[in-house]
Amino acid sequence: MSGRLALAGSIAGLCVVAAIAGPYVLDSYTVNILVRSFLYAATALTVDILWGYAGILTFGQAAFFGIGAYAAGITFTYLDFSPQNAVLALLAGLAVSAAVAAVTGWISFFHGASPLYVAIVTLAMPIIFVQILYSGGTFTGSSSGLVGYNTFDLSVESWFTICGVGLVVLTTVAWFFVNSDFGRMLVAIRENEQRCTYLGINAPRIKILLMVVMAMIASVAGYAYAGYTVVVAPEIGSFVFGTELVMWVALGGRGTLIGPVLGTIVIDVTTAYLSGNLPFVWKLIIGSIFVLVIVALPQGIIPVVRTALGRMWSAATGRSAMASSFTVPAIVDARAGRRAGAGSDAPALDVADLTRSYGSLKVLEGVTFKALGSELLGIIGPNGAGKTTLMRCLSDGYERTGGTVAAFGQTIARVPPHGVVGFGIGRSFQTTSLFETLTVAECLTLARYRLDGAGMMSRMPELALPDSARHVIAATGLDREMEIECRHLSHGMKRALELAMVLALEPSVLLLDEPTAGLTKPERTLIGNILVELVQREGLCTLIIEHDLDFVRDISTRIIVLHQGKVLLDGSVAEVVGSELVRTIYAGGEHKGAAR
Amino acid sequence: MIALALDIITTAAILFAVAAGLLIILGVLKIVNFAHGGFLTIGGYSALVVTQLGWSPWLAYPVAALAGMVMGAVVERFVIRPLYDRPLDAILATWGLGIIIGQLITIIFGREIQFVQTPIAGATSVIGETYSLYRLFLIVAAAAVAAGIAALLNATRLGLEARAVIMNEPLARGLGINSGHVRFVTFCFGAGLASLAGALITPLSSVDPNMGVPWLVNAFMLVLVSSVSLTSLAAAALALGGAQVLVSSFVSPVIGGLTIVVLAALLLRIRPAGFGRG
Amino acid sequence: MSQAVLDVADLCSGYGEAMILRNVSLAIRPGEIFALLGKNGMGKSTLLKTVLGFVPAGKGSIRLFGEDITALPTHLIARKAIAYTPQEQTLFQDLTVEENLRLGLRDDRGFAEGLERVSGYFPIVGKRLGQKAGTLSGGEQKMLIVCRALLGTPRLVLIDEISEGLQPSMIERLAEILLAERARTGMAIFVVEQNVPFAFSLADRYAVLKIGEIADSGTTGDALAASRVQEQLRV
Repeated sequence: MSGRLALAGSIAGLCVVAAIAGPYVLDSYTVNILVRSFLYAATALTVDILWGYAGILTFGQAAFFGIGAYAAGITFTYLDFSPQNAVLALLAGLAVSAAVAAVTGWISFFHGASPLYVAIVTLAMPIIFVQILYSGGTFTGSSSGLVGYNTFDLSVESWFTICGVGLVVLTTVAWFFVNSDFGRMLVAIRENEQRCTYLGINAPRIKILLMVVMAMIASVAGYAYAGYTVVVAPEIGSFVFGTELVMWVALGGRGTLIGPVLGTIVIDVTTAYLSGNLPFVWKLIIGSIFVLVIVALPQGIIPVVRTALGRMWSAATGRSAMASSFTVPAIVDARAGRRAGAGSDAPALDVADLTRSYGSLKVLEGVTFKALGSELLGIIGPNGAGKTTLMRCLSDGYERTGGTVAAFGQTIARVPPHGVVGFGIGRSFQTTSLFETLTVAECLTLARYRLDGAGMMSRMPELALPDSARHVIAATGLDREMEIECRHLSHGMKRALELAMVLALEPSVLLLDEPTAGLTKPERTLIGNILVELVQREGLCTLIIEHDLDFVRDISTRIIVLHQGKVLLDGSVAEVVGSELVRTIYAGGEHKGAAR
Repeated sequence: MIALALDIITTAAILFAVAAGLLIILGVLKIVNFAHGGFLTIGGYSALVVTQLGWSPWLAYPVAALAGMVMGAVVERFVIRPLYDRPLDAILATWGLGIIIGQLITIIFGREIQFVQTPIAGATSVIGETYSLYRLFLIVAAAAVAAGIAALLNATRLGLEARAVIMNEPLARGLGINSGHVRFVTFCFGAGLASLAGALITPLSSVDPNMGVPWLVNAFMLVLVSSVSLTSLAAAALALGGAQVLVSSFVSPVIGGLTIVVLAALLLRIRPAGFGRG
Repeated sequence: MSQAVLDVADLCSGYGEAMILRNVSLAIRPGEIFALLGKNGMGKSTLLKTVLGFVPAGKGSIRLFGEDITALPTHLIARKAIAYTPQEQTLFQDLTVEENLRLGLRDDRGFAEGLERVSGYFPIVGKRLGQKAGTLSGGEQKMLIVCRALLGTPRLVLIDEISEGLQPSMIERLAEILLAERARTGMAIFVVEQNVPFAFSLADRYAVLKIGEIADSGTTGDALAASRVQEQLRV
């Protein structure tokens, strides 16, 4: 960490020096243009955090820039400039931006919303904003905007230094933010939002919050723009500007912070110089490069340059330039006693008359059973019996069509998965749905977010895990792989991490969907032994779906057989294994009556 | 009253024609084509070229559709095909394409507003109300577009294969259908439809290099609320287009311009299936 | 011996790093009916999906009528005179029965004759051409997918767990039809099954798949085979 921190610090320091020295070195036209570029770059930075890190493709930041600018323009035009009014205008811009962003977020982010949808909603936002400006008539200056109001009494050089230093500070803060635990969580949400919600993370709320904060930053940039240029026109809040921001970010390199900042400055300055001579051709060139970059270099230009430099560096020095620079958190004991349902007499899981239908097709019908702590309940049944659907209905309050599910006597209402986790129910998935670019330690930290929170600007030095999760990572050797990114893990390790993450939630009820699929025999045995031990020692109520019946027979204390969406049999292992009926539906043979 | 009703119907017809190409591409390719506005513009300028050459204004429609298809073929091959697995990037790349198309047109035709000859001029009396003949013609044109799409989808082998790909692409491939070819043809067809729509709307206003942009967002919102179904699209165009006409007439034209976007966004938030059966 | 219709050699495949199949080899001869048996989750469907190119082969080769098809795209494999009926999502639910049948052929030639022949096997299919496939009952849907597969004249038919959920009389009828079609055209048939009696009533040879490997194989004429396989598939 320290090496990278020193590097980042010295770069930031150099940039600050440049921001102060710039006006004395550069000609006044360039200084003039650069002030504007800095403000655009700050706005592009917010686009990068939203899109590059959190995966929210937004065309709407232009509208927030415009709101901030018009707040200043309108205030200064009608109330004149004064320090009080300057503060008032800033606050008004922030408040309106925050409110608009909150509404936009509410419209765009909900359980099950498509990631394409937010792109369209945010595309509409600048269009609506500009229409409002047009309909404002003389008050907003309609299509020509407002000009010539009184503003801050600052020289161009001062603006340059203020905006330059401001951009450096913003970029530095953003760097700490995206590298913090919270920043890693944003990446996790981008990579697999569904999985995050099953880790108890309220992803829609986090995305709305992020959008509000980024809107406020864009609004401040717009405010400074209005103060500096003494002109506000609809173009600065328009849909064209919104898409230009995205283009700059894409060309510079999404998810790199520095790429979008440099990309914006370089393109905006070049545009200022070239567009006078060849206005349309220049836009055509930018558009063509943009399409080319998206198709051929989706990560943008800066990462390509950086990789090339890194190669040259390691060729010259014989060392790798890209060594991981974050210390791995130390694993410590989690505070005990936070399990839901501790001390409750009610059954861990009480499912009554559970039904799930898609149109006229009933996938589950009248499923009723109870499960207690310390029970390891095997759920078996042929393909299409509704096993995974059952898991889904237990872990997502919106899934079931009818019936009730209660955990420790508390009925689970229609809440999204992150709410169900609060009832003490943790679920693992059939496919290894991990987060490809996150390390093992980061995945486990993510699973602890619900209980331990996340640092906005830093990484926690300690990772508190309950006994059970620590046991799994120690027994499978994951504790030696904490720095490895998930995509480099073997399949067996991924399965183990999936299990450790669910256990890190400190659930009281564990839902495991084929935890051993694709594993070798020794790996199965290991996972089986761990599960049996966990159930015995910690009293977890565990439901497990498995295809391998030998495995289920070895570890279960009870078995439920599902067939065509109904509970066919619920009994001890001996009863189920000895049942002729079960043999019939499984191994084919005579299909007589009862099964249908 | 009658004028209002006719306004609603003709507006819905225009919106349907404009959105149909987008809907087809989204349905089969699962890609939101942000170059749709660009294809509309191509259609508009095809009509302009026909006018400038002194040809019959009726020729504008086949010329526009052909220009759109050719352009669509090039775009699908070089830009869309590499992006099938990256739908968000496809949005950006097609948006970039829209910019390229707009700039090329600016360079060739200039950025000023120009006018196109109308194939049908004048007005007629509809139940005592004088109404533009061309707007009435648009109802016929939209109906023809709808019928054409329906015939293509339901009465040809290619349409059958396209529907199979929409419903279940893996199964379609397992039956030997070349889904890549189906996508290519669909994109060309959708682009051709967009350009045709561009030629249809130009006599109502004028052409300029950014004429497609304002239509883009409304068309998207309509497509989103119609869950990739032509019938739902017609219903959505009628309901939301109708609301737009009413708000424009009785409240303010500026707010009227936002009606479709706002209503559609709220509708999707409350009922994600929109006008579809869902 | 004539060239194998389908020749799978040393095949490994799976999803990502999870290898579902490990070094599977098997060959199907012209005109032969071959049954692949195994419990749920043992890799039977994965094998068919790998043959069809839905799942990439990690190692090994697949030859169809002597041609290496290991790296071909799915639709080109599917056009090589083979018919595939998957286990799940077998029909286009919102298309009509007739449209589903038409999609079983590459073009509309031969549809009328084919329809007449398959309607002979399952008259109900011919009577409900205009109905949406999704509104058919489970058994009727199975009939429809068999008709779709037999509509053309494939040289190899791949059938994934057709008997699941069917009543015994239907299963018997199905076996008769498949045998009759084989006798008529000399096609080879590859069935994936859990239903041992059905598989043995149909197939000439069999193999058992267990956790991605072939655990047993032989001819169905072997008197002890059926009960041994039944035991291997036991709960």
